[in-house]
Amino acid sequence: MTRGLGGAAARGIALPGLVAALAGLALLLALPVLLSASLLNAAIQMLIAALFACAFNLLCGQGGMLSFGHSAYFGVGVFATVHAMNALAGQGLLPTPLLPVVGALAGMVFGAIAGWFATQRTGTYFAMITLALAELVHALAPHIKGVFGGESGVSAMRMPAWGFSFGEGRHLYYMTLFWVLLALLLLYGYTRTPLGRLTLGLRENSHRLRFLGYNTHLLAVLVFTVSSMFSGLAGGLQAVNNELGNYVVFDANLSSSVVLNSYIGGVNMFLGPALGAALMTFFGLAVSDLTRSWLLYQGILFVVVMLFMPTGLAGLAQTWALARRRCGAQRLLPLVGAWLVALALLSLGTVFAIELLQQLFSTDYRAGVQAGAPWPAVRQFGRSWAPGAVTTWLVPLVLLATGTPLARWAGQRWAAALDADQGQDAPR
Amino acid sequence: MTGPILQLQGLRKSFGPTEIICGVDLDIVPGERHALIGPNGAGKSTLFHLISGNLAPTAGRILFQGQPIGGLSPALINRRGLARSFQVTNIFPKLTVFENLRLAVMQRHGVQAMFWRRVDRLPGVREQTEALLAQVRLAARHDALAGELSYSEQRSLEIAMTLACDPQLILLDEPMAGMSHEEIDHTVALIREVTQGRTLVIVEHDMAVVFALADRISVLVYGQVIATGTPDAIRNHAGVREAYLGEEAGS
Repeated sequence: MTRGLGGAAARGIALPGLVAALAGLALLLALPVLLSASLLNAAIQMLIAALFACAFNLLCGQGGMLSFGHSAYFGVGVFATVHAMNALAGQGLLPTPLLPVVGALAGMVFGAIAGWFATQRTGTYFAMITLALAELVHALAPHIKGVFGGESGVSAMRMPAWGFSFGEGRHLYYMTLFWVLLALLLLYGYTRTPLGRLTLGLRENSHRLRFLGYNTHLLAVLVFTVSSMFSGLAGGLQAVNNELGNYVVFDANLSSSVVLNSYIGGVNMFLGPALGAALMTFFGLAVSDLTRSWLLYQGILFVVVMLFMPTGLAGLAQTWALARRRCGAQRLLPLVGAWLVALALLSLGTVFAIELLQQLFSTDYRAGVQAGAPWPAVRQFGRSWAPGAVTTWLVPLVLLATGTPLARWAGQRWAAALDADQGQDAPR
Repeated sequence: MTGPILQLQGLRKSFGPTEIICGVDLDIVPGERHALIGPNGAGKSTLFHLISGNLAPTAGRILFQGQPIGGLSPALINRRGLARSFQVTNIFPKLTVFENLRLAVMQRHGVQAMFWRRVDRLPGVREQTEALLAQVRLAARHDALAGELSYSEQRSLEIAMTLACDPQLILLDEPMAGMSHEEIDHTVALIREVTQGRTLVIVEHDMAVVFALADRISVLVYGQVIATGTPDAIRNHAGVREAYLGEEAGS
């Protein structure tokens, strides 16, 4: 039964869930031993992105307020923390591990002010106001050099504290992990408080809430403030890790990727956005060396997820659990296998075609083309491919032409299997 | 206090040049069940919107327990003890039935901005929610999504949500619209039961329901109250028969 956040939060945590959570925690704690320095750095960025996405989703998925300008609150957290690092030099009341709190406070204050204006309206108008506020900050930041440091940004130094040097990735990783886990716990706890329940009511029917005696504007401002506070905390963590604040964090790019990541992960599940953000950040880092078309892949992924699994990646698990209960795993596993093969074929075909076209259209390649001579071959997947050869174009075509019917066949059989079972023991 | 619980004095509402409510004077006595009837477009729903704060009056006064409430926000009016239901079902469709009602019950516990306590640890909230669910006979549908309830179950939920803040005055806007005969009988009994000790103003088209339920009836035609009285007085009122009941006699 898809009961979304409401049901999941109302039930207690079941035993298998607890075991999975402990296993996940153990894995996260063991990562510094298992990973190289660069991968550990990637893990830190994934954790920060996951926290930012969950903070965003409090507003978007739970409160039903789609913000297109959440980079503003993240960025304010970054700069507040960088300035705190410079002002206090890690001394006194704010040693390095506590610095992200400054980011959280700054995000909270800025969020309360911006939220008071943005939540005067709902729906499209709300989204437009958040976008406008973020663009305002984005446009102003390069001009206020004293605060935002201009092109080169504001840099800061991380100081040792509590016996840790914070010069090694390990120390930074554990500090980030601690804050992210604490914030996720608090955000999860929030969903079970009265304000957390009212947040869902705000999304479902704010008109009715007014006639039940609630001040919906106040509620919306509070939700906005909490969301901005945790976004600012994520920004603060990034500042401590990078020792740098640059106004590019206010770019609309960050605002849009948190929206895309959250929906890819699934906004209806508490950890869906964290999953989406962590995966997309990882792919972004892993793939950015291999391709120049990462943004295109990100966009394609978003469209595909929205078209074929609107509940996101986290929703897949729910769909699988539901289907398995109805038909049993034996009947469905071959279909999942076929579906995975189809997915691999389609992905390979798409990547092949995109990379080929991207190379052929690149300025480097165009410069090498001589009039009258055949176009030079391009290297891809460890082989050279002549643009004039039929086989070069046959490869992606065959991949796509076999993948598409296979995916359709698997989808139809899946639906048929569920339909056939409808009459027998369909749970209500 | 023995005066009227709700007083409308010279109440007017215009939308641009069109006047929908043209000077309504009406007193609602504490504890009565008062029905508001009238042909389509007479302004019954507009009157409810004015009283509940959905719309601000153009002129005139609305007094609730002697205090002016005209133009206040819906939330403030609700907190003074005046709750309403809606003609078109107005619930939280993707939340469970229990959750729907709990949101309504929580309000009188004054916890709207609370983020430091778990909602299931609030004393009394669960008990009151369960009691209300039982009262409107929805206890069996506790975990169902509100959007998946049958139409009449949704209407019952709507009534329960209206009752949740323990209001002195309840406005019900066509609670029986679109129901079958059995559902209507059930709902009439339910309304009779849950409005014990409260004041009720109800808009309803079904005349059988109106005459069975109401202590007094007011007839609204073209934005004016043309008659107020007991069911018998209304039934025999010449102006009402002409303006309204005459048309209904055939149906």
